[in-house]
Amino acid sequence: MNSEIKAGSETIGAAGEKSKMTLFKDDRAEDIGAIILSILVIAAAVVMTMK
Amino acid sequence: MDGDVGFFRKLPSALPGLALIIITMVVIRNWIEPWMTNAVVFGLKGWLVKVTHLNYILLGIICGMLYRNILFGGKIPEIFSDGFKLSRLMIKTGIIMLGSLYTVSAIVKLGAMAIFLIGGFVILTIIMVLWLGKLFGLDRSMTGVLANALSVCGVSAAVATSPAVEAKASHVAYAIATILGFGILTMFISPFIGHALELTDMQYGAWIGTGILNSGQVLAAALAFNPNVAPGTAVSVAEIWNIMRVISIPFAVFAVTIWYWAGKTEVEGGKKKGLGTLLVEKFPVFVIGFMVMVIITSMGAFGDVGIKGGPPASETIKLLRLWMTWIFGFGLVGLGGYIDFKELAKAGGTPLKLGLIVGITKYVLALIVVLLIKDYLVAI
Repeated sequence: MNSEIKAGSETIGAAGEKSKMTLFKDDRAEDIGAIILSILVIAAAVVMTMK
Repeated sequence: MDGDVGFFRKLPSALPGLALIIITMVVIRNWIEPWMTNAVVFGLKGWLVKVTHLNYILLGIICGMLYRNILFGGKIPEIFSDGFKLSRLMIKTGIIMLGSLYTVSAIVKLGAMAIFLIGGFVILTIIMVLWLGKLFGLDRSMTGVLANALSVCGVSAAVATSPAVEAKASHVAYAIATILGFGILTMFISPFIGHALELTDMQYGAWIGTGILNSGQVLAAALAFNPNVAPGTAVSVAEIWNIMRVISIPFAVFAVTIWYWAGKTEVEGGKKKGLGTLLVEKFPVFVIGFMVMVIITSMGAFGDVGIKGGPPASETIKLLRLWMTWIFGFGLVGLGGYIDFKELAKAGGTPLKLGLIVGITKYVLALIVVLLIKDYLVAI
C-alpha cells in the first residue's frame, strides 16, 4: 500500500510528504482554514463599508 | 489539533514566500498589466493583451512557473516553500467568497443543468477509462486512479482514490503528471478557442467547468477568458460546474473502489470502505462554506448582489469582489510555483496515451455538447 501518500500532497507529479502542498495537516484541515479565513475577510469587508 | 498547532507554528516561516507571491501580483497588476494594455506592438495598441489574452491571472501562473523552473532551478527554496504551500488555502478561500456572486435561485437554475452535464461526463469518463485500461492491458490500480483523476477533479480525486485501489506512489505520480500536463495546455489554449468561437461567458464557463480536469486550472482558464468577477461572468459559471464536480468525488471514489474490488480475484487483506465512510472522510467541506456564503448573500446580508437588470452591487459586495481577485491572483502565483517541468516529464507510456485520449475526448466533447445545448443554458 502507498502509506507514504498523504492527503494534500498535490504537487504536480509528486506523491509524498516532501512536496506536500499545504501547511495544514491534511485537506480537511485546509478546508476549515479556508472557511475561517473567508469569515475574517468578509468581516473586514463588512466593517470597512459600514456606514 | 496537532495539525492546527503545526499550522500556526509554521506560519511565520511562510512569510517570505507569501511576501514573494504578494509582491509578484502587485507588480503584475500595477505595472506589467497596464504596460501590456498600453504598449504598441505591430502598430496596434494593446496587441499583447488582445492577441495573447495574457492577463494578471495567466501572468501570475507564468511567474510562478518561471520562479520554480528557471529562477530557482527546479525547486522552490526552503525559505519560500512554506509560503507557496498557502496557495491552495487562498484558492479555496476565494471560492468560498465567490458564493457572493450567486443567489439560491440562480444556483438552483444553473445547478440542475450542471448536475446533468457533470454527472453524465463523470460516468462516461469512468466507463471510457476502465474500458481503455483493459484494452491497453494497464494495471488495475493505475486504471482506477486514472479513472477518477480524469473524470472528477484531477489531483484530489487521484489522491483520494489511491488508497482504495491499492495504488503505488508511482501510479499517483503518473496520473497527476498526465492530467496536469494536459490541464496546463488546456488552461492556456482555452481562452483563445473561447474568443475565436465567440463563446459567451455562460457557454465558455460551462465548457471549461466540464472539460478541464483540475480546479485551479478551471479557475485560471475562466479568469483568463474574462478577468471580471461578477454574476454571469465566466468564472461564476465555471465554478458552479466545478463545485458540482468536486462534490461528486466521494461517489466516484466509491464507484471505482467497487469496480476494483469486484474484479479482484484474490483479496490480500484489503478493507472495503462504505460510501458513508468515504463521504465523511473525503467530502471537501470548503464547499459547505461556499453554500453558506450563497445563502447569506441571498438573504441580503451584504446588500444587493448586482445581478443584470437589478440594482447595482453594494459597496460590501464590490469590496469582496475586488479582494477576491487579489486572493485568486496570490493563489495562482503559488499554483504556478507547483508546476514542475521535470515531474511532468514523468508522465509517459500507456498512462499518458490513455490520459491524452480521454482528456482530449472529454475536452472536445464538452465543447460540442455546450454548443448543442447553448439555448438551454440558463443565464444568471
